[in-house]
Amino acid sequence: MWAAAAVGSGIFVLLGYFIDYEIILTLRLILMRWSVLLAAVALFLGLFNLLTVHWSKVSEQEKGWPFSALLILVFLVTLIMGLVFGPDNQISLLLFNYIQLPIEASLMALLAVFLAVAGFRLVSRRRDPFSLIFVVVALFVLLGTGPSLGASDSDAYILLRQLRNWIAQVWASGGARGILLGVALGAGLTGLRVLLAVDRPYGD
Amino acid sequence: MLGSIDIVGLLVLLLFLGLLLGFAAVGRNWPTVFRPVPGFEELGTAIERAVEAGERVHLSLGTGSVIGSDSAPALAGLAMLSRVASVTTMSDKPVVVTAGDGAMTMLAQETLRSAYQQAKVGERYRRTSGRMLGPTPLSYVASLPILIANEDVSVHILAGSFGAEGALAADFGERQHAFVIAGTDDAQSQALLYATAEYPMIGEEIFAGGAYLNVGPLHRASLRAQDAVRMLIVVLILTGTVLRALGVIL
Repeated sequence: MWAAAAVGSGIFVLLGYFIDYEIILTLRLILMRWSVLLAAVALFLGLFNLLTVHWSKVSEQEKGWPFSALLILVFLVTLIMGLVFGPDNQISLLLFNYIQLPIEASLMALLAVFLAVAGFRLVSRRRDPFSLIFVVVALFVLLGTGPSLGASDSDAYILLRQLRNWIAQVWASGGARGILLGVALGAGLTGLRVLLAVDRPYGD
Repeated sequence: MLGSIDIVGLLVLLLFLGLLLGFAAVGRNWPTVFRPVPGFEELGTAIERAVEAGERVHLSLGTGSVIGSDSAPALAGLAMLSRVASVTTMSDKPVVVTAGDGAMTMLAQETLRSAYQQAKVGERYRRTSGRMLGPTPLSYVASLPILIANEDVSVHILAGSFGAEGALAADFGERQHAFVIAGTDDAQSQALLYATAEYPMIGEEIFAGGAYLNVGPLHRASLRAQDAVRMLIVVLILTGTVLRALGVIL
């Protein structure tokens, strides 16, 4: 029954993209509105799942349970703050601006360090021509994109910028388009498999 | 009221459908020959090793949502999950799946439940094996190191939609010396995964996971259909380029 409902809904939504017929378009709009509503409900269920997982870790004293206890505490405090005082009150904004935002920004900043280390690790671990090309091209693009180390009108820097543009606009763009075409084909057929109920992530 | 019909779009859809069903029909008499993809070749051994050593397999479905255009790689990840879950059902530490979206978490739980029931060990299924780690990309990825360390993860599969945070997700696995195979749909994120993951899935390899892991004949058929349409596109691009160079088309 679930498969029939999923296939039926999928076919109507898909046909709505190709056939400009009032009944199909209306039905497609209704189904898409339902999907947005269900996704919002699923977010609540996801948060409940988060709480359940960490509650079971605390109750069974699993490895790292104090972190789970801290998560539950902060989760409930933030939730109660938001429900009682609203999401735009001073305390909620303080929690967001001075705790969540700096942590997320720090993680993004760490990414640059992680990538530099990963670049060195790549050459030592995967000793093949492609890894070497990958690292050399990354260095060229990095040097050609950043500010000049010497005079900005020097021949070497202009050549580096031109080389960077040539790599990015010709080779990288061409390769990326090929990848995107392949990804689009793969995504289309994955969707078709779900539509034909070959893949049933919603259960049997 | 009858409006216009996008004939070209419908024809492309029918071409996909015809090729998929056609290749599925001839699949038994015409076995699929796979191009070697080191990540998929090593994955089976890595999972077996993890099951024997009492270590955990972790599959990440990324930070994309079900209703967005970024759901396709996660759906491919769910197809891989159905196979991985059936292999690890009898392990002391069965596979754990994480996502950054509530609806995706529910799909992961249902996929796990189906895999356990098909393996006739439905009573071993735990709903907490499918988890939502965090609703934003960075809160999701910030939770990963603790999960990988505390749950003794030795196989770390990233198959879903990732942005730049995917590089961090892969690197956290590498730091725990786990077997890391990672793929996504975004070309820029694939470049980051190429640098950070031990076995990156490049291009559309993530969508071939089901066929490589032997999920079913229609997965192999869809891989063939994909290749057939790709060749058609290559021929069309080359023809267009030659005709343009000759001045036949402007």
